[in-house]
Amino acid sequence: MTEKTLSLKVNGRPAELEDVPDSERLLDTLRWRLSLKGTKEGCRSGDCGACTVLVDGVSTLSCLTLSHELNGSTITTVEGMRDDPDGRRVQDAFARAGALQCGYCTPGFVVALTGLLKERGSRAPPPEILRDLAGNLCRCTGYSAIVRAVEELAKERT
Amino acid sequence: MPSFVLVAPATVDAAIAELKTGSPGEVAVLAGGTDLLFDLDGAKAAPRRVVSLRRLPWRTSDWNGPVLSVGSTLPLRSLENDPELAARHPGLVDAIRAVGSVQLRHRATLGGNLGRAAPASDLLPILLALDAEVELVGPKGVRTLAVDRFLVGARRTRLEPGELIRSVRFPEPRPSAYLWQRVRPANDISQVAVAAAFSPSKRSWSLAAGGVPPRAVRLPDAERFLHSATPSEAEIRSAAEHASRHLEIATDRRASEDYRRHLLDTLLGRAVRSVSALTVRAR
Repeated sequence: MTEKTLSLKVNGRPAELEDVPDSERLLDTLRWRLSLKGTKEGCRSGDCGACTVLVDGVSTLSCLTLSHELNGSTITTVEGMRDDPDGRRVQDAFARAGALQCGYCTPGFVVALTGLLKERGSRAPPPEILRDLAGNLCRCTGYSAIVRAVEELAKERT
Repeated sequence: MPSFVLVAPATVDAAIAELKTGSPGEVAVLAGGTDLLFDLDGAKAAPRRVVSLRRLPWRTSDWNGPVLSVGSTLPLRSLENDPELAARHPGLVDAIRAVGSVQLRHRATLGGNLGRAAPASDLLPILLALDAEVELVGPKGVRTLAVDRFLVGARRTRLEPGELIRSVRFPEPRPSAYLWQRVRPANDISQVAVAAAFSPSKRSWSLAAGGVPPRAVRLPDAERFLHSATPSEAEIRSAAEHASRHLEIATDRRASEDYRRHLLDTLLGRAVRSVSALTVRAR
């Protein structure tokens, strides 16, 4: 196994990490090396979306991405949402709609939705946003409040 | 997860040289990684060296007249919001949207999907219906193969040792459709998927089915029932019934043989009608 330095920018701060194994995934780097436990491990196989983070502004499954593949990239986790204008709006909409039950899936939903706002702009219609959120699962089945948060966000923009 | 050495060669020649450092089981190719990493965790694969293609200049998509060429490492998500692509290859965009989730498609690639050749891939049926070709580069140079010829079976292709997929070529825009049935819209495997396309230059139909192990297949016998861009309902019924009756289909934990035959019949009919409506609108 070769272990080499990994340079990332995480939530606005540079992170220089030594001895990161080549086979390590971004999910584990974030949770265990950087103690950013907001990013959740759900299925570890790309099915649930709980581990979603932004890589250079684009939503990505941290469980299916090798950390070294992202050397030099900018990572934003749920902990960085407060410092992001889109992230803050999404968090506020979730809070107002009470869009969570146990909360385990919430970081993944918030980050995925923030990524969609960045990608699609403010004009994307809610049905398309919801279609594009289909990769996130809520095992409490608390979807109606999440749908409400998405619809509220759309109203806010017009 | 087993440990391995990750290398990211900066040139195509260096990547090809890396592939020759071990047998296919020992050296794995990494494009988006969404399928490979899944296998690594389940210990279905245990390579000692992983060759990443991230530094190769293949994240491109170009039109050359009617021919679309998509670089093998372009993330799928880059293709799906392109209005020109949606107008010229509607079925391809529908199929791309059926792959995983938005998050997954930000990394997953066309080359990875072809190279991994999953039996239930959501891209292979539409590639077959559009007569797509793969461009391969290896120690002996460049060669081009029709996707139908490139695919051998489940997880088996005609890639030779040291070869990489450089790009995928679509010869002409075609009215096309891709339809699927499965339990969950995202991140699920289709029980049956169908692709239909009409070639304006050849005046002929192409039909393909997926989710029917061991691999996605063209349905040439069913295609023969369709005689024009706007086939009659009787022709459509004959084509769909022929395919659903005669294709070899197995039962597995996702669906029974009977259910799959029923789905194939229904989805093929719908796909042909939808493409036929597109050809009418295009006139």
